[in-house]
Amino acid sequence: MSDYSDYKDVWVYLQVENGSLSRESLEVLAAGRKVADKLHQKLIGVVLGPATKETLKQAITYGASKVIHCNDESLKPYFNLRYIDVLTELTTKRKPYAFIFVENELGRDIAPRVAYRLNTGLATGTIELDIGEFFNALEKKKYENLLVQIRPDFGTRIAKIFTPSRRPQMATIRPGNFIPLEPDTKRRGSYEEYKYEGGQGSYPAVVQDMKELPKPKVDLRDAKVIISLGLGILKDGKGNARNPREAYDFAVKLKEIIQAKYDLKAELGATRALLYANLKELEGLLTHDNQVGQTGVTVAPDVYFAIGISGSIQHRVGMQKSKKIVAVNTDPGAPMLKIAHYPIVEDLYDFMPKMISMLTEGNEGGR
Amino acid sequence: MHFHKHYAYIMYILKTTMLIITLLKGVPSKTTQSASLTGILNRESMEIVLNPHDLKAVEAADYIKRRVGGKTIALTMGPEGKLSPIVRSLYTAEVYGIDESIILSDRKMAGADTLATAYAVANGVKTAVERHLNAVDEILNTVDKGKDALLAKADELYRQNLLPNSIYSNLPAVKDSIVNRLVNGELQSDAAKGLLEAIKLELGRFIVVAGIKTTDGETGSVGPQVAEGLSELYGRVLPHATYVEHFEIEADLEHLVADRILGQVSQRLRMAIPCLLTISDEYEPALPNPLEQHLVRRNNYMGKTPAPLVWTANDIHADPLRLGLGGSPTIVGPGIDVGKPPVQKMVDRSLVFFVHLDKVEFDGKMYGPFDKGDLADGLPPQLMDQLRANGSVGQFTVQALVEELFA
Repeated sequence: MSDYSDYKDVWVYLQVENGSLSRESLEVLAAGRKVADKLHQKLIGVVLGPATKETLKQAITYGASKVIHCNDESLKPYFNLRYIDVLTELTTKRKPYAFIFVENELGRDIAPRVAYRLNTGLATGTIELDIGEFFNALEKKKYENLLVQIRPDFGTRIAKIFTPSRRPQMATIRPGNFIPLEPDTKRRGSYEEYKYEGGQGSYPAVVQDMKELPKPKVDLRDAKVIISLGLGILKDGKGNARNPREAYDFAVKLKEIIQAKYDLKAELGATRALLYANLKELEGLLTHDNQVGQTGVTVAPDVYFAIGISGSIQHRVGMQKSKKIVAVNTDPGAPMLKIAHYPIVEDLYDFMPKMISMLTEGNEGGR
Repeated sequence: MHFHKHYAYIMYILKTTMLIITLLKGVPSKTTQSASLTGILNRESMEIVLNPHDLKAVEAADYIKRRVGGKTIALTMGPEGKLSPIVRSLYTAEVYGIDESIILSDRKMAGADTLATAYAVANGVKTAVERHLNAVDEILNTVDKGKDALLAKADELYRQNLLPNSIYSNLPAVKDSIVNRLVNGELQSDAAKGLLEAIKLELGRFIVVAGIKTTDGETGSVGPQVAEGLSELYGRVLPHATYVEHFEIEADLEHLVADRILGQVSQRLRMAIPCLLTISDEYEPALPNPLEQHLVRRNNYMGKTPAPLVWTANDIHADPLRLGLGGSPTIVGPGIDVGKPPVQKMVDRSLVFFVHLDKVEFDGKMYGPFDKGDLADGLPPQLMDQLRANGSVGQFTVQALVEELFA
């Protein structure tokens, strides 16, 4: 068995978007900080490609002890094979204990190949990280201070993934599950400009074009209140078919009142089932940008309204970290009611107008 | 299309045969079906269906075949009994479909994580390509052994779906196959050998396509890792593109241009073939060009062989230490139930405190402290009555809910 005693420090891969670190990078910094503290090791942010001093400093402000930056002509624009080469060289030379990526399109493009080249494991889709021990019953051996990579398991459980005997321990985190640290401008850290030593190399691929896409109209990730609709809106409590547009209009009204009254950013969400039903009444009103869940966005707002959502596991993994969950459903057995802080077994076509009038009337009166 | 470009394309198309390998995965039909106590998915005891994202890979493979000809091969890994019906169902489609399928099925491969899976699959892909190279080698070795021996060998391999029509064919429309021209004396032995060697080079330019991810937890790592595994096996870098929404093979048939979406940017990547693509759910294949259909037929193989080939670790020449559970660097610990259920408050049902109370004395016992909004549970009934009477406790209303949510 290899000796891994010289592997130390927790690395996180950071991405620059429009001149500053992406929100997801701040999340991976928070995730890395937590485990680095438990290990009493440094947290090192790795940035490839163009980045200003200010951007690199942001990594320190949000939790890193050090930033390693590597930039040259070959790293602009983003080119997967080149990035994989640079990260492999860096990792091989510096030997991090753990290396964490964000599970987004870029993380999925490079982390798997880096892991394969380093002959180590990659735990994908983790929603929580910790430090802990693992007892291998076959070897009768206890491994201590391992990265505990926690991910949703099939069904209602979570599983802990360990990489006991390879280094670095590599993981990707699902966006939306870690809250960025409060920025601390007084935090000190060091900076290193790294020069890739592998030379220009020749690649069997070349980036021909790179274009920014228009920003999505709806960004659920920074909403404080999300009002989500599911297929339950097609029927009222008596089982009569309803025009889903009614529930949509109620939701819009609720959103507008909350925004106006409490100055909180509110957005509408939807389940995959509702969107894929392709209802003509909702055409163009709710799109993929509104989709919450495994194949949509993972969110953790202050308040999450689940209106007519039974709560499949795919939806729940996308919103279960919301601070206050209000679930409205006529079926008392709906899984969503079990995880809600405020389960409301009621016809949503009764509840929503009640909620709206309560908010419009104001609550100066007594209770 | 400009005449010259099209002409170049036709010239190239007359001398290629492409293997298109589609990676498929069987996933549990219901995501609630749980892993075993050890945390390892027991695929033998659950209902398995084709990973829905893989259909786009099948469509992409079919598009490549319509465009340049060749053979589509599906490759999957897992229990044969479960996977066989899935791959067989892909032959039936008229519009798209696969020509051949391979199931990597061996106890030694069970319990694999993404690294061990990618290693096995990469070995499977390489073995599939080598099978076709070996068939061409067999023809090369028979060229000088007389007409009868050559025809017999060619016919045998053709029926096994291992030779393209350009080498040997029983289609009446394809009269100019290499073997036919040799037998008719239209081609000399050395020239034929040169053409066959060129086809071997073409077989090295294969394309691997996969779905963007699977529905059972693996989040899209296997595709890029198979590209890395093939790079290791071939000793040269095999490029990959994830999230491909559109692609086109260049006229030289040695390059592929892929458009893909990476978050907020779109990227166009030009890759040398062989390469690997993971196909986005947004991908829509272009319509076939009837003229090309006719041209590419000579690059196709005999047809479809619906009985899957079942290969073991030995068949794919894999290092057993790198397969299955033993070859997996990650270990899944026992599953645990998630957290505690939340403290729930029911509108118009739950009783809650309306005020903060440091402590309440009742019947010689102290209760509290209670915060405003706390559930008033488990208190003696008489105390509860007392608290309700003085207005400290009351029913949780919609108004109280609104206050709690937005206060």
